[in-house]
Amino acid sequence: MRIIDMFSYAFSAIRLRKLRAGLTTLGVVIGIAAIVALLSITQGLQVAISSQLQRGFATDTLIVTAGGGLGGVNEFNLLVKDAQTIKEIGNVTASIAVIQRICYIRMPYGQTRRVTVTGVDFAAYKEIYSSTFVAEEGEIPLNPEDDFIIVGKQVSDPWSNGTILCRTGDALEILWTNTTTRPLRNETYLGRVVAVLREIGGFTIGGPSDNRIYIPISKAQSFFGTETCEMIIVKLRNDDRATIDSAAKAIREALGGRVAVTSSTAVLNIISSVFSTIELFLAGIAAISLLVAGIGIMNIMIVSVMERTREIGILKALGMKNRQVLLIFLCEAAIIGLLGTLIGIGAGWSLAQIVLRIFGSSGGAGIMRQGNQAAVSNGITITPVLTPTVILGAIVFGLMVTMVFALYPAWKASKLKPVEALRYE
Amino acid sequence: MTGTIIKTVDLRKTYMQGKIPVEALRGVNLEVGEGEFLSVLGPSGSGKSTLLNLIGALDKPTGGRLFIENIDVSALNENQLADLRMRIGFVFQFFNLIPRFTARENVELPMSIAGLSKGERRKRAEELLQMVGLASRMNHKPTELSGGEQQRVAIARALANNPRFLLMDEPTGNIDSKNAYEIIRLVKRLNEDKGVTIIMVTHDQRLAEEAKRIVYMLDGTIVMEKVR
Ligand SMILES: Nc1ncnc2c1ncn2[C@@H]1O[C@H](COP(=O)(O)OP(=O)(O)OP(=O)(O)O)[C@@H](O)[C@H]1O
Ligand SMILES: [Mg+2]
Repeated sequence: MRIIDMFSYAFSAIRLRKLRAGLTTLGVVIGIAAIVALLSITQGLQVAISSQLQRGFATDTLIVTAGGGLGGVNEFNLLVKDAQTIKEIGNVTASIAVIQRICYIRMPYGQTRRVTVTGVDFAAYKEIYSSTFVAEEGEIPLNPEDDFIIVGKQVSDPWSNGTILCRTGDALEILWTNTTTRPLRNETYLGRVVAVLREIGGFTIGGPSDNRIYIPISKAQSFFGTETCEMIIVKLRNDDRATIDSAAKAIREALGGRVAVTSSTAVLNIISSVFSTIELFLAGIAAISLLVAGIGIMNIMIVSVMERTREIGILKALGMKNRQVLLIFLCEAAIIGLLGTLIGIGAGWSLAQIVLRIFGSSGGAGIMRQGNQAAVSNGITITPVLTPTVILGAIVFGLMVTMVFALYPAWKASKLKPVEALRYE
Repeated sequence: MTGTIIKTVDLRKTYMQGKIPVEALRGVNLEVGEGEFLSVLGPSGSGKSTLLNLIGALDKPTGGRLFIENIDVSALNENQLADLRMRIGFVFQFFNLIPRFTARENVELPMSIAGLSKGERRKRAEELLQMVGLASRMNHKPTELSGGEQQRVAIARALANNPRFLLMDEPTGNIDSKNAYEIIRLVKRLNEDKGVTIIMVTHDQRLAEEAKRIVYMLDGTIVMEKVR
């Protein structure tokens, strides 16, 4: 029997029970739609976030921290002057220390707010983050006076609606609780806002952020009474792998092997691998719904085989081989599976669009909040992403599940004995 | 009568009715030559259908031998049995047409299974339907046809792949007597004009008399033969 004839035979059988076939197909549609929607949303999210990250992460920079990497705890202290040591290393074009503390600031109108105060060398910081450490208002001073302050956009305009809490020229009182003294002592000083940064969006490690304020490194050292810094940001000549690896190695050696050197590229890779895990997990959950659909297919096909026992008997009496009977039932499953998968891909894609239109671009600051290391974005717009791999994977998976679950009923049909099948009422 | 086409040797079939064996055939010896028109007569339960199903390779004997064109059928595997069935025309009491197919599609089905192209199938199906007198009913579904017409479609279908012989199990059992005679006339014509070998099981003495040779069955054996 020709394949095309098998398909047209299978099709004629499906057409006979339109409602039933429709409902079976619906099961596949829902399963595939769930998978496709989840994948295209997470992939869209991933694309949005990593493009934000790439903006905030200069790829030619390294972050040096004490001990076990970002956020690691270690007795070893990274010193502000270590930045000078690093600067001597080959391929390093800039190296700046970053001191950061959580403080309270009092705004001109009396509001207080908890922010991360970051002490950096303004000129060098601007050189590394030339696209994001940019003033919207005022100017970034290259030789700042001690009480100069640069504020992030969100500190100035926290609700993004023009309700400005502080602007250039305002005085801000910075309050820091020194927890190393007994009793605890509150330190304060009054600074002057000289610039408000342009909105950055996204989040970053080391790089400028919308909800921080920046003070000169020397002031940070004296105010916080410290010689140590939280991290040193290193800018390299280029972002070749070899340059990154050799510089990282040299930095570790120069500081006695007690520091962690993280490249932005590595962080990006970690983040994307976290995303892949989340994606896999979500897709796994969605796949379960497809398995449920598969069981539905099996159930319906078993009933269908029983109902059509006599027909199978006729086919066999007319000389159809077991294998051909099996194939005819698999063809039925394939038609339903393929149809369901194709509709499901379309439905999943539309679903992703709708979901993201409702929740995706509501401008909410709150995709990720993570203490003082990484800051939060606002207004990331996520568009769903449907890759050819997902489409192909969905088709293969959808077809496979339907076929696998159809295998048993089809096999049962193929094994029916002609006389017994013909006698079946 | 030229060569032997069907030969049974001490053919037996025992069904298991739970734990009780039911001997449907208790040693049937029968030879059918090419071009014969044979009818099998016997009371209900005498084993006529059982015999026909065995000859049609729809079921397997539990004892004895069955030769079709000198091939030992009991030695064939599932695939070879399917190929054999393709070369045997079976006509059932209850027509067994596919309800969703038209008359023509039903006649095309065995040729589709045999792998013929759409064009070949269609042409031959139309010829066959014309031959059984249904030229004007080709696109009707079984439910739109009378019993006699349905059986004629079934006969056309049985002839589709040029079978070596035609097996008919009470082909007129569900047809009123006027149409039954039409069917018998068609069958006789097939036998006489086209030389098709036919075995027909029937209850009806008068219909059986139309055949050249009559075999009487009782309790699973052939008890008498009559050649006209
Ligand atoms: N699948 C089966 N299981 C058990 N017994 C069976 C089976 N098929 C047939 N028989 C028995 O075998 C015997 C012969 O049956 P068969 O159908 O061959 O008779 P028949 O001559 O065709 O009768 P009828 O004229 O009523 O069609 C009967 O006693 C019947 O009960
Ligand atoms: Mg019978």
